Amino acid sequence: MKIKFTLNQEVIEHEVAPNKTLVNMLREDFDLTGAKEGCGGGECGSCTILFNGKPVTSCLMLGVQADGQEITTIEGLSQGNELDELQKTFISTGALQCGYCTPGMILTAKGLLSENPDPTREEIKTALSGNLCRCTGYKRIIEAVEQAAKHYR
Amino acid sequence: MKSFEYFKVKTVAEAIDRLKENPDGSHILNGGTDLVLRMRENHLHPDRIIDIRGIEELKEIRFSKEEGLFVGACVPLGEMAHHKSVVEHYSLLADAAELVGSGQIRNVATMAGNLCNASPLADTATPALVLKAVMIVEGSNGEKEIPVNEFFKGVRRTALEKTDVVKGVRIPYEEGLQGSFQKASRRKDVDLSTVCASGVKIGDEYRFALGAVAPTPLRLPKVESFLKGKEINEDTIKQALDLIDDEISPIDDVRSTKEFRVHLAKTLVQRCLEQMA
Amino acid sequence: MKYVGQNVERVDGIKKVTGDLKYVDDMKLPRMLYAGVKRSPHAHAKILKIDTTLAEQHPGVKAVVTGKDFPKKAGLYLTDKTFFAVDKTRFTGEAVAAVAAETEEIAKEAAELIEVEYEVLPSLHDAKEAIKEDAPLIHPELGDYRVVPIFKPVPGTNISEHFKLRKGNVEDAFKKAHRIFEKEFYVPHIQHTPIENHVAIAQYDREKNLTVWASCQSPYAVRAALSDAFEVPFHKLRVISPAVGGGFGAKAGTTLEGIIIPLAMKLGNRPIKLTYNREDEFVSSYVRQALHSKFKTAVDKNGKILAVENEFIWDGGAFTEYGVNIAKSAGFAAVGPYDVENIHCDSYAVYTNNPVGGPYRGFGMAEIHFGIEQNMDHIAREMEMDPIELRRINAQKPGGTTATGAKVDAACGLEESLEAVVKEIDYHTPSEQPADPNKVRAKGIACGMKAPSMPNNAGSSAVVRINEDGSAFLSVSAQDLGQGSDTALSQIAAEGLQIPVEKITIKTGDTDHTPYEWQTVASRITYSTGNAIIKACEDVKRQLANLASRKLEVPEEELILDDEHVVWEKDASKKVPVRDLALGLQFEDGSGIHGPIIGRGSFVPEGVVNFDPETGLSEKPVVFWTYGAYGVEIEVDKQTGNIQVLKATTCFDVGKAINPELVKAQCEGAVVQGLGSAIFEEIIMKDGKFQNSNFADYKIPTSGDMPEMTIHIAENPQYDGPYGARGMAEPAMIPAAPSIVNAFYNATGIAMNKLPLTPERVVNALKEHNK
Repeated sequence: MKIKFTLNQEVIEHEVAPNKTLVNMLREDFDLTGAKEGCGGGECGSCTILFNGKPVTSCLMLGVQADGQEITTIEGLSQGNELDELQKTFISTGALQCGYCTPGMILTAKGLLSENPDPTREEIKTALSGNLCRCTGYKRIIEAVEQAAKHYR
Repeated sequence: MKSFEYFKVKTVAEAIDRLKENPDGSHILNGGTDLVLRMRENHLHPDRIIDIRGIEELKEIRFSKEEGLFVGACVPLGEMAHHKSVVEHYSLLADAAELVGSGQIRNVATMAGNLCNASPLADTATPALVLKAVMIVEGSNGEKEIPVNEFFKGVRRTALEKTDVVKGVRIPYEEGLQGSFQKASRRKDVDLSTVCASGVKIGDEYRFALGAVAPTPLRLPKVESFLKGKEINEDTIKQALDLIDDEISPIDDVRSTKEFRVHLAKTLVQRCLEQMA
Repeated sequence: MKYVGQNVERVDGIKKVTGDLKYVDDMKLPRMLYAGVKRSPHAHAKILKIDTTLAEQHPGVKAVVTGKDFPKKAGLYLTDKTFFAVDKTRFTGEAVAAVAAETEEIAKEAAELIEVEYEVLPSLHDAKEAIKEDAPLIHPELGDYRVVPIFKPVPGTNISEHFKLRKGNVEDAFKKAHRIFEKEFYVPHIQHTPIENHVAIAQYDREKNLTVWASCQSPYAVRAALSDAFEVPFHKLRVISPAVGGGFGAKAGTTLEGIIIPLAMKLGNRPIKLTYNREDEFVSSYVRQALHSKFKTAVDKNGKILAVENEFIWDGGAFTEYGVNIAKSAGFAAVGPYDVENIHCDSYAVYTNNPVGGPYRGFGMAEIHFGIEQNMDHIAREMEMDPIELRRINAQKPGGTTATGAKVDAACGLEESLEAVVKEIDYHTPSEQPADPNKVRAKGIACGMKAPSMPNNAGSSAVVRINEDGSAFLSVSAQDLGQGSDTALSQIAAEGLQIPVEKITIKTGDTDHTPYEWQTVASRITYSTGNAIIKACEDVKRQLANLASRKLEVPEEELILDDEHVVWEKDASKKVPVRDLALGLQFEDGSGIHGPIIGRGSFVPEGVVNFDPETGLSEKPVVFWTYGAYGVEIEVDKQTGNIQVLKATTCFDVGKAINPELVKAQCEGAVVQGLGSAIFEEIIMKDGKFQNSNFADYKIPTSGDMPEMTIHIAENPQYDGPYGARGMAEPAMIPAAPSIVNAFYNATGIAMNKLPLTPERVVNALKEHNK
């Protein structure tokens, strides 16, 4: 199936089998391995990418659903070597440990802040509840999002 | 996932044509969060998938006091939950939609899809029942309307024909309506309902619906007729809750025993009453 | 100090926040093949016949193997496991055969085509049944297995380890007791659920070199196990662990590596990858063993514990090659962080046909403290004493004696930690009750302790190389699992070399290139590898001082390292930049001496001695104990049974926090992981078959469950720790579940002797209680 979509701000034409998931298409066909398959059931959020700016679990989507849409992966968040503010605050607050949930977590936060630039703590917690982390206990992740929100404002 | 034919259609008519070519082996793709999961787990192997997400008219969500609320089949739950008119006039539906899965799921999944899956615990089903929602369907013989209380036939079975396409859900507007949605789950966020409940109070009339306590989500006619016109006090509440035993038939499963579901059903109906008081 | 004790930002942050870091599943090697595994649907069955013909003929399949190909047993402490079932399968999900194929899809399809004929055998799923003398034997050849001598399996039974602790005279003490309390507890199986599933790639070339890339905590332990099982010498076996997405013990030891190696050996140098999906992760890696514990406690009229008689029966699962050490470690911890003169403890590792028990953060301590700390609150209530006072009276203090008869040294910060949490949550002031009458709030506390459970000679080593520009390489095989060892160890090296952290690159995880590390487990790395690094830096300093003394013409002993220079302490203007000496010293006449500066350090803890096999006593069975405490406040919804942990505070005596923010971050993660084990997590099994092997029905905490957390640190230096540091990553989780359960009692008056406190259990307990 031929599809045409925007991937990290670049227009791409691509051929993909209909039964390939979006996460596998990104990982295998484009070597964008930042999105991870942690559970294959849309529960852990480590496959999260931005789909027209909104966080989605790419393990439960088909590659063909990207046709005509805008996809942003973690690799597309930094401009060259310049890190996005969220990436900076994740490092400065210590909001990551093993790093496996981190790309998905950052993209969900990015999606939240683009819709809600001044979220409350509760709103941040709810937005991130679809991203499981076993290492950090979430506290610094929430702080990182709050700090990035301040900066964006 | 086994391979399949894939069609992205631009109109409802085109979707129906595609369905007619292979009614038994076709499946509609909307958000896909349920379909793709079931295909991944090999519970479903459709020969063909018909992607309706490109049909513009299904993305509409609109409200007027005359028509009520119309939610197009392709409107994501997240968008619906935050829509001004839903929040203002159908807050229980907004509450329910907000509790389906995670934020990521809600950006993709839809109310139409949630209802068509016909899981006994679907979170948008009980609000649809108490709000007297109507499924707007296009079939091979033209448009038809299926009231939601005739829509659920069994576990994952609906009144739809194999070549039907749900275009949206319409919910009438009722002046002075108060509502409540209650969900009991193991974990606060991102969990399936152990039991869910919706309640509506309008004038002296009550409507209740429960999910995850029977093969389909269902209304509680005995409880409703008992409470109609009565004063809500400790005594009437107790009597109303006792009637629930006869109206539901929960099962044991990995999430709960049936006894605990009965307990939760009563607790949640009581909480609906308290919230609407 | 310039670097140690500072909150240096993680050195591995950028590659993780950009997604640039390649974990093993992200790796694509040329001509790589994929493995598919056929697993047993039975908990206990004889394998009568395996027919692989259809699989072999399936297009795209390159090789098929079964247990017959490599029947040699492996295991860390007891060689009782094979990577494939050989004559029989002992748990549901055990690998029986595997294929190598062009794609993952083909591999899965082909694995399904393997036909296996089983004769189902009676299976055991309750450790209390399996321990009985007449129980069917899961490992009839137990007596023939190689075992590390400190472990005592009982051949002819399902007991693979029986640890005995016999201290003092409990019978006398019971006779003198003012009161005796008896209690029993149970914790179920749970799983670590690292967000990254297990994954490994193996490649066997035509020179018989075997290379394994694995997400593993301990490349050297993997190397040793695989070398033994597949008879590949160490110098031809390379294990690389490029990145680990969470370990918690699940990735210690070996799990799936042994499945792909037999395949790799048939593939003519083609690499082969096996990635676990989430279901495999639950069913076929490791689980935390379930525990039945029994306590009989004698107390005098003042609340001093005179004696404890206890029994731990561990549900070790199908293989206990690792689990025997958990049973032993629990045995010599026995009574928790309390000074008890008379102890009679039996700790048994028991085989069952349940999933394989293995190391899980805490290594037995969280499981036993669930009972120990509830027991303390129970005794306090019965004696009408303040639970804090009861603990104060019995707490380990400097000068005290541990369960095995070792002396407690000055670095025991238990009381300090207890006071810190009592104060932080204001334990003695009852919770303010919420407006909603259906909800009730209360506070709870618990204490805990842990020591590294490792062989007495578990070693670490480090190599430091100075580059010609004055930067340095630090090579160790300690794995950063997320806990931050890359950063903390770099800080230790920076302090030793007086070179900034940013100018040091740490290299880890490659048995061909980074030097020996026993394992990254046991909360031992900061302590052990840290010490090795200090020695390596001292070695560097000696070499630099030797050269600098010749150049500056001052005595070697008067030279120090400071700010990337070798400096004469008597006159700071006399100094040489380290980079000028990196390749040795060159004289004015052009000649040179010494050559490149390479520092090495090896560390083994000293004086750790075996315990007496009959009594379990030892003057120093472990290197250190880390003590600490938790305070929590919870809210219970009495109608739905849901529990929310509102606040949590912890304090642990870490000796010296090399990086305080990293220490706190570990504690925060531990609180939330601990909360999961208290209110959500349980492997639901029916006849040994998982019913909830997915995140839809095995719930772990989300950000919505996070309590408000305040983390305190106590620092009483570890006398032989690097800059006084001791391990804390596992201790930080131990009191979590009991503190919550103790709070639950305070909220409802109900003691829950089983975990987790699910909504259903809570509601049923409330109903029973109110009758």
